[in-house]
Amino acid sequence: MDWLIIAAIKSGFVIVILLTGFAYGTLLERKLLGRLQVRYGPNRVGPFGLLQPVADGLKLLGKEDTAPAGADRVVFTLAPMISTACALSAFAVIPIGGTIDLLGRRIDLVVADVNIGILYVLGVTSLGIYGIVLAGWSSNNKYALLGGVRSSAQMLSYELALGMSLIGVLLIAGTLQLPKIVEAQATVPFILLQPLGFIVFLIAATAEVNRSPFDLPEAENELVAGYHVEYSGMKFALFQMAEYVNLIVVSSLATTLFLGGWYGPFGLLPGPHWFFLKVFLLICFFVWLRATTPRLRYDQLMRFGWKVLLPLALANVLLTAVGVLVLQG
Amino acid sequence: MDKPRGRTPPPPAEAGQTDEQLFRPVADTVLLGSTAQVRELMRDGLLERVLTRVTNWGRRSSLWPLMFGTACCFIEMACSAASRYDLARFGSEVMRASPRQADLMIVAGTVTKKMVPMIVRLYHQMPDPKYVIAMGACATSGGPFKEGYNVVSGVDEFIPVDVYVPGCPPKPEALLYGLMRLQAKIDGESFSAIRAPREDMEKRYPIPLLGPDLVDVRQIPEIQKLTAAPVVEAATAEEKRKPVRAAAPEKTLPPGRAVALLKKSDAKSGAKGDSAETVLARLRQVPGAEDDLDGVTFPAGRWLEVARVLRDELGFDYLSNLTSTDYPDRIEVVYHFYSTARTGEPLWVKVATSRSEATVPSLVPLWEGANWQEREVWDLMGVRFDGHPDLRRILLWEGFAGHPLRKDYQEPYYEEPAKPFGSRWPDGQHRRAEERNPFGRNVRYPHGFDPATFVEADPRIPVVDATELRAGIPDAEKMIVSFGPQHPSTHGVFRMVTTLMGETIARVDSVMGYLHRNHEKIAERNMWAQVMPFTDRLDYLCSMSSNLGYALAVEKLLGVQVPERAEYIRVIMAELTRLVNHMLAIGTLLNDLGAYFTPVLYAFEERELILDLFEMTAGSRMMCNYMRVGGVARDLPDGFVERAKALVEDRLPRWLAEMDRYLTRNEIVMTRTKDIGKLTAEQAINMSVTGPMLRASGVRYDVRRAEPYSIYDRFDFAVPVGQNGDAYDRYIVRLAEMGESIKILERALRDIPAGEVLAGQKRWQIRVPKGEAYARIEAPKGELGFYVVSDGGANPYRYHVRPPSFINLTALDAMSQGHKVADLIAIFGAVDINMGEVDR
Repeated sequence: MDWLIIAAIKSGFVIVILLTGFAYGTLLERKLLGRLQVRYGPNRVGPFGLLQPVADGLKLLGKEDTAPAGADRVVFTLAPMISTACALSAFAVIPIGGTIDLLGRRIDLVVADVNIGILYVLGVTSLGIYGIVLAGWSSNNKYALLGGVRSSAQMLSYELALGMSLIGVLLIAGTLQLPKIVEAQATVPFILLQPLGFIVFLIAATAEVNRSPFDLPEAENELVAGYHVEYSGMKFALFQMAEYVNLIVVSSLATTLFLGGWYGPFGLLPGPHWFFLKVFLLICFFVWLRATTPRLRYDQLMRFGWKVLLPLALANVLLTAVGVLVLQG
Repeated sequence: MDKPRGRTPPPPAEAGQTDEQLFRPVADTVLLGSTAQVRELMRDGLLERVLTRVTNWGRRSSLWPLMFGTACCFIEMACSAASRYDLARFGSEVMRASPRQADLMIVAGTVTKKMVPMIVRLYHQMPDPKYVIAMGACATSGGPFKEGYNVVSGVDEFIPVDVYVPGCPPKPEALLYGLMRLQAKIDGESFSAIRAPREDMEKRYPIPLLGPDLVDVRQIPEIQKLTAAPVVEAATAEEKRKPVRAAAPEKTLPPGRAVALLKKSDAKSGAKGDSAETVLARLRQVPGAEDDLDGVTFPAGRWLEVARVLRDELGFDYLSNLTSTDYPDRIEVVYHFYSTARTGEPLWVKVATSRSEATVPSLVPLWEGANWQEREVWDLMGVRFDGHPDLRRILLWEGFAGHPLRKDYQEPYYEEPAKPFGSRWPDGQHRRAEERNPFGRNVRYPHGFDPATFVEADPRIPVVDATELRAGIPDAEKMIVSFGPQHPSTHGVFRMVTTLMGETIARVDSVMGYLHRNHEKIAERNMWAQVMPFTDRLDYLCSMSSNLGYALAVEKLLGVQVPERAEYIRVIMAELTRLVNHMLAIGTLLNDLGAYFTPVLYAFEERELILDLFEMTAGSRMMCNYMRVGGVARDLPDGFVERAKALVEDRLPRWLAEMDRYLTRNEIVMTRTKDIGKLTAEQAINMSVTGPMLRASGVRYDVRRAEPYSIYDRFDFAVPVGQNGDAYDRYIVRLAEMGESIKILERALRDIPAGEVLAGQKRWQIRVPKGEAYARIEAPKGELGFYVVSDGGANPYRYHVRPPSFINLTALDAMSQGHKVADLIAIFGAVDINMGEVDR
């Protein structure tokens, strides 16, 4: 029974971290956007605006829960749950640190150390798209429908490039298990060995989490709010949560696969703080992107995915394979 | 605390509806389960106090406004999110475009009858708890447009308002203060206070209908009573007996005749070598033509034929303006033609038709640009156009009773034909207009109208047309999506009914008039000088330009010489306005392309600096009301020139270079705008497109050069043109024009002489001699024309604005077909419109 209790405790920790990350991710984004747009951002609610997410949450909790006439109520309610659940569970296999000794036990700083970690993450995040598609479909709203359709098309175009960009890492590390991949980077982070793979991964991941310049499913200027146009109150908050948690997951994945996870540079003490610092910087990068880039068009995005990203990812696989063969041989 | 908490079973349901059931706290149930449990808990008060504090704190600190604004005030609302004011500090920058996610509706701007059903619907779509701020004079009470036939006297007649922010428009500080007052109000709310359930709110604030006038369903019994009684009719009849001011036009043109008038001055500059005589000689050859008046008259039935001669043989390829004037015995449809190849004054053509059966041949077969202008004349003046493909009302709605620009049309708040009203001046007592109207608001219904049996006209646009049938688009594959009137990228309240095939656009049908605030009718009731502040509110981003255009038109009639210094000041103001406009045009275009507000907020930052100059000069930053007939209102304040120089010579060129560096070669900007929304030069001219859009299509035509006004002939500036006529070229042309404006400004600020700024004395009233004039300027958005007719009285007999935004939009459908949804937004953004000017 021990493993179950430990797993439960770990899950609890991760969920708390992710939800705090979500809440303060929104604040970070708003503050950073403010600075990037020559203004302050929230600073009135609590010291330095630190209570802003709390106020937002409280307010959303008390909002009326509306559903449009003609909506498929069951699916409409289910959709945000699917999105959030998938986003949260994707984090389960991501290691935030090595192994620590606690109360006489050796504890891995990962919820579930499965041997097909990468596949699991890819699978679960793909499932999350269902939330968006179903939300778009069940809302009985044309904007939402267009958003949902865009989302599925986008996923098809980018999932492949995303998967391919990781193969280089797998070839070098020789495992699908995420903690082992991190350990393989103890001396050299894979970003140095896989620069092309990292770039392809980052672009595909941006599309995967619907962030600007690939935020087509909710493209405010075209589709008002896209797939979640009809959602209010906590259901809307769940979608926001899914979006930010996905952002964290993707940043964590990039950290784990390319940036050396919990290892610090110059042999400095490794630990979760390095992991969190790297994730934080990546999130800032995504915010920066949002503040500075216009959005691509739907068909341009697809073309880019199929005609540029996928060939690049394939070339990367080829190069890596040859490199690995030569070095081993 | 003797009561056990939360254990009392809920009271048994009663048969009748008690207050308890009617007013159950909606929001609270989410928090703590059943209402009864909550009430039980609250009996001792402590829990309630705590909960009240906590929930109120959450609500006050997280007020997300609905991204929505009807008019000028919205610009100040947007400003309040920009760097100098930063609404985000209060946590309120999260402007949600979807009403489902908004907490606060800021009704920013004039609420028209056509718009109010949408506003009420949006209000109901917002989830509880929701708050409303009425921003500005219009939203509060109808403001300066109150007397208009399409304006509602305050949004609070239809939805409950929490905070009113006065001003026209209120400055962003005022809005921030309004927000803080709302927060204070929320602090005073009680957690257990009842909030009426949704059904009850929908009953209390029903969505009004668009009948012959706006129908408030709560007033149905009253309306039935009043429209059934003949009293109303009698009153109207009595009103009608009052003499409508009879105009005494100098030239009389019998109905059914058209006359072509050519100004002699034009002959000199004819590039094609056509003197006035040769043009008239050619027109005389039209069968039935006779020499008459100043020009040639011919039967109206031959008008289309004559127009073809004008366009194809005589080179008048550009139909600038199409409007109409109502005289006691006839209606004249007035056309102003120019040639894009020549400079000089226009060729006027007037076609007279009878008032009772007003019909004129349509020019749409020759000029696509006549399309919307003819619809407008039909809508407001009731002239039918034979051969028009789609003659529907354009600014008002189908089913509206009457054609408002007819001289015998009386608005519901009608008092007298023209100002100053005897009831107010010199020693009258003003009575509120609501008290004089039997319904207590700005409405009137025809005799016998029964709102109970009334069915609203089908608002749907006929979607299957010939081109679609020919293209073989099956109905089942089409999706009709309505963008607007509340949509983040419609730049106000515009509606694009789009037929989509997947994401590809098959057709765009534009619906407007949501901001039709009866500018022309109000101006014709006003005195000449009173019109000036209304021109501010045409294109509310460019009030100085509109001021200038109107002043020029009236000066033409008066023949005043404007003092030298005033001319320089006018040029400085007009060019500063162009800078302001193009900054925002580029900023919002980028917004439409999906850049998350950054470019537009940067533009707002620079705009503030120019607005500071306006404010120190005119006293108001947006609605300057600065120009006067014969000059400007007052001299420049001390320090203006220095500040302006610092801005123009240093800061703005740097900003411009920065924009150029970040945007012009930006990969995404280029892929999103190149080859998007193309217009060829021929198409552009045919559609009467003007301004940067025309020039982007490669036509080097700028009114400042083609028909120089003020002192523009003294300045050396280039007229930038594009090559492809796509959205990218429109951006490039605007960017280049800003550079040219800076050049003009540098020169004007250097050379400005000392001296008078107003010809003659300051007067409260001007008398304008009989006659008519058409003056046009190169406003930032295109050719802005003012057509004025004076009968020698204290008021304009006819006043018409040729709005560049409105006419440029004619091309929207042609530009968008075959593109994607996202492109539509980019194309629309690149047109650069202002709804105040489109709808007037």
